[in-house]
Amino acid sequence: MRISYNWLKQYIDLKLSPEELEDKLTFAGIEVEGVEKTGELQKQIIISKVTACEKMPDSDHLSICQVFDGTETFQVVCGAPNVREGLVIAFAHIGTVLGDFKIKKAKLRGHQSSGMICSEKELELSDNHDGIIELPADAPIGTNIATYLELDDTVYEVEITPNRPDLLGMIGVARDLSALFNLPLHLSEPVLPKTQDSIENYLTLNVLEPEKCTRYTARLIKDVKIEESPKWLKNYLTAIGLRPINNVVDITNYVMMEWGHPLHAFDYDKLEGKEIVVRNAKADESIDALSGESYKLDPDDLVIADGKKTGALAGVVGTVGHSITDETKTIVLEAACFQYATIRKTSYRHKVFTDSSYRFERGLSAETCEIVSKRACELICELTGGTLVDGSLDQCSVELGGWEVGLRPARVKKLLTIDLDNSTLINYMQNLGLKFLRESDETLYFLIPSYRGDLTREIDLIEEIIRLHGYNNVAEKSRPQHIMNSELFDYRRKIQDLLVSAGFYDTVTLSFANPTDFDKLKLPEEHELRKAVRLINPQGTDSAILRTNLLTDQIKVAVYNLKHGTSDIKTFEINKVYQNLENEYSENYQLTGLMTGKMVEKHWKENNQEVDFYDLKGVCEELIEALKIKKLSFIPCTEPYFVPNMSLSVSVNKTIIGSFGKLNPSVAEAFDIDIMDFKQSIFLFDFNFTQLLEKSDKKPVKYDEPLRFPLIRRDISFVISTEHTIDSIKKHIQSVNPSIIREIKLIDEYKGKGIEKGNRSLTFSLIFGSAKKTLTDNFTDNLFNKIVKLLEQQCNIKMR
Amino acid sequence: MKEDLKRILAEAKERILTTKSLPDLQNLKSSFLGKKSELSQLMMKLRELTPEERPAFGKAINDAKGVLDTLITKMYSRLKDAEINRQNKDMSVDLTMPGRSLNKGSLHPLTLVWREIEDVFISLGFEIAEGTDIEDEFHNFDALNTPQDHPSRNLADTFYVENKQLLRTHTSPVQIRTMETHEPPIRIIAPGRAYRNDKIDATHSPVFHQVEALYVDENVTFADLKDTLNQFVVKMFGPGTKSRIRPHFFPFTEPSAEIDISCVGCGGSGCRICKDSGWIEMGGAGMVDPNVFEKVGIDSEKYTGFAFGLGMDRIAMLKYNIKDIRVLFENDLRVLKQFRNENR
Ligand SMILES: [Zn+2]
Repeated sequence: MRISYNWLKQYIDLKLSPEELEDKLTFAGIEVEGVEKTGELQKQIIISKVTACEKMPDSDHLSICQVFDGTETFQVVCGAPNVREGLVIAFAHIGTVLGDFKIKKAKLRGHQSSGMICSEKELELSDNHDGIIELPADAPIGTNIATYLELDDTVYEVEITPNRPDLLGMIGVARDLSALFNLPLHLSEPVLPKTQDSIENYLTLNVLEPEKCTRYTARLIKDVKIEESPKWLKNYLTAIGLRPINNVVDITNYVMMEWGHPLHAFDYDKLEGKEIVVRNAKADESIDALSGESYKLDPDDLVIADGKKTGALAGVVGTVGHSITDETKTIVLEAACFQYATIRKTSYRHKVFTDSSYRFERGLSAETCEIVSKRACELICELTGGTLVDGSLDQCSVELGGWEVGLRPARVKKLLTIDLDNSTLINYMQNLGLKFLRESDETLYFLIPSYRGDLTREIDLIEEIIRLHGYNNVAEKSRPQHIMNSELFDYRRKIQDLLVSAGFYDTVTLSFANPTDFDKLKLPEEHELRKAVRLINPQGTDSAILRTNLLTDQIKVAVYNLKHGTSDIKTFEINKVYQNLENEYSENYQLTGLMTGKMVEKHWKENNQEVDFYDLKGVCEELIEALKIKKLSFIPCTEPYFVPNMSLSVSVNKTIIGSFGKLNPSVAEAFDIDIMDFKQSIFLFDFNFTQLLEKSDKKPVKYDEPLRFPLIRRDISFVISTEHTIDSIKKHIQSVNPSIIREIKLIDEYKGKGIEKGNRSLTFSLIFGSAKKTLTDNFTDNLFNKIVKLLEQQCNIKMR
Repeated sequence: MKEDLKRILAEAKERILTTKSLPDLQNLKSSFLGKKSELSQLMMKLRELTPEERPAFGKAINDAKGVLDTLITKMYSRLKDAEINRQNKDMSVDLTMPGRSLNKGSLHPLTLVWREIEDVFISLGFEIAEGTDIEDEFHNFDALNTPQDHPSRNLADTFYVENKQLLRTHTSPVQIRTMETHEPPIRIIAPGRAYRNDKIDATHSPVFHQVEALYVDENVTFADLKDTLNQFVVKMFGPGTKSRIRPHFFPFTEPSAEIDISCVGCGGSGCRICKDSGWIEMGGAGMVDPNVFEKVGIDSEKYTGFAFGLGMDRIAMLKYNIKDIRVLFENDLRVLKQFRNENR
């Protein structure tokens, strides 16, 4: 439905700008789907005066006019038949945009024309293009026409939920807003004009289907003069998207849009038998609707008929046979209420959807019939000069007067957790049009107006209270409270699972340690790991301190297992380590693992290999990848418990977050491993788990579209001095064409027979691919040659 | 010429049907249907016939070609199937030989139980809270309403470190710290390590694992405590497991209770594990003492709460039938391997 800001302001003193209102409407449950400013086009047009006008000598219809816009005079060539000197007109300056058309300086038959005098059609006021607009002589020269015609409005396209038919009229919306802002609603009771005669002398009413037509009222107005509606009425209707027709039809539409209840007016003199019959359609009955369509009726359709012919499809559409025309003198004004299911069925059966059916099929109040009937009579008499005939025909089959619903303030508090005193609750309800009846047994009783058919239970009232009080004004009772460190929780499990799937056993060791273990690890005096928390009453020296690392425990687990006959070991632990940092105790999670022996269980088909440094490095790389840690580097490790050239530290932004390497055999010996007998290498990795989490990238992966063009693989083999590392060689290769070289993978290393000492033979597989095209052989050959040339220059390689 | 056609067709059929190999069949195809085949030569001779005879005979030759072509196609698929079957037979190997292992490791039984407890309580709407192992006397004792002269504060029971700090003797300090920093509603569990000056033996360890639960809100009742315990026990030890609570004393709960569960060994009829009682002790519980609320500044008139603490090592031991707590900390791979297929 469309709601006009100007129209709403009739009923409520809105203190909000149109923009602010948009927001408030949505939060009051009236969802705004679109906003339109009207009068934008007309704002460009200035009220001006034709100060001189003469026929163009060599033309039969053009005139040369002098137009004064309040400050300046322009010469304009105009073709309208009604242009003349002294006329007040709507003037469009050079540069004005009307629809797709921009007004430019022009020359017509040698005469300069600077602007345009507009017709109603050009200003989108009507379809009239017979001549230019003739404004009253007192129209203010220099003012824009939108302001003058009161065309500037803001119109909201809103979505009304099906339970609220009362919001299908401006007054319903205004009432909700008045409740929302606690502002008075300006509603005046319609006052019936003076009457004469008596309706019984003119008309009889016979409702044969009281279930389908719960109320039918008719009033008669004589001596009406059918004309165009006044400006204000046309503006309101145009703003909300209705086309003005004539004063009577426009008034019924206006009252429908005002109250949300449709009305119908028809020509009394066309009624045969001077009676109105509300009945089911007969077999083979059909009507010619006002829309021009004709419908073959179903016996289930409800029709409004006269003594002989069908008048209207009740509540849906009227018929030509009874329609108001310029000749109409006496009108019957129908205000009725139809059962919603009947209207819905008829509307869908014939696929006729009108503003009237849209409202009736949502269920309207029989009580409103009387109000809208009076309101329309009031306006019709005023605008058409008609005279109201005394009395009305009224047949009603339902009880009027609303119903009672009780509201317990305690229940409001229990459900909403907001504490509102009784007077606030009563005020909210009264603003919605409910009448407070009494308080008894800690319950407030209200009379619900019949237009609020959606309010039948206490819970319906509670819903209204919170809607008006504001959903945002309910404090959140938070649960959970984010006490939980979900990151630690998730990543601990993730890393545990990753290592378990890689063949590691999760271990749990106790928190105590022996200070002599530091010596066994060859830690220098000032080493960080020696800063241990000391117990005042330890059970013995082997548990005199809290552990500062998990390395010792992992080594001890290995020693235990070796002693018990298990020599292929892969273990890890994620647990706390404790440090005494200048009398401040810290507790951090550490991730430490150990591997020795065979990488995998012996399978009959494979030769199983001993774990080596690259197995260890692979595990660490996998961990780092799993945590999505970016921008790290492997740097030489100086920890004394590792073999110096067989260990690396992991550095992220200059912070060392862990290290891995081969355990120094003399450390192993210190922990009771007989290194003469035990030939296996022991490898350990050791990460600060807390820091791993900190450096981890928590953002979800962003999918990369796979290349649409084929990848090309080229292998390159060469002999190179061992002083060049794989990392540095890769960097050289990559630099040749970073966007095309997709992957550089080392696939073979060979030393020994045929290769000079201090050299090695390497094979890389290179993958080339472009995001933009298929690579030609020529291009690939060239790229490959460039790579060879660069490596020859930089690393002195010899191709094999 | 009609005789020739008949003869050629009969001979070709015979030879096609007796072919033994795919290459032979390929050769036959070219010799019977190729350009130099007898049928093609017959076609050449058509012009020797009268114009009336030509169409009928031409058609007969083409029909013969069609028949042979269909026959060859049929034979081709028959021979191919036979060939594939022969290859499949040759491929058969000893399927009893072992498959290749994925070589996975395992989670520690304590980790398994730890995760299970966390998951049960998360499903009941609890959050996981964490504390530090090194605590002060206030959070470990005073705030928990423990009298100054209570024996548990002795050096013989509690490990102390420098600066008047100690190693927490239970996970209950996490309760206090959470209540100090959060307004109710609070629903947490706090799994973690605790320390007591006990000599290590089959049932004791100076370092052990506990899980603490705390629920504070308006209208939390003794019935909620019983219900939560029951749900936990059933999820942890399986349907049919019961829990009961019986009066006991803890300084920080009032009323206090000891939690028993029906014996996982015998289901309640009595066995060695439960010393014939049918019940096994699992931990302590109770309604949070108003004094504790007062210490952390929570209105004990508005809020009530329950708390309980359970031994996680004990749960793991009961669940996996481990008789000696030391097994949990030895990390013997022969033991750990047995947990490879436990779910968590
Ligand atoms: Zn038992």
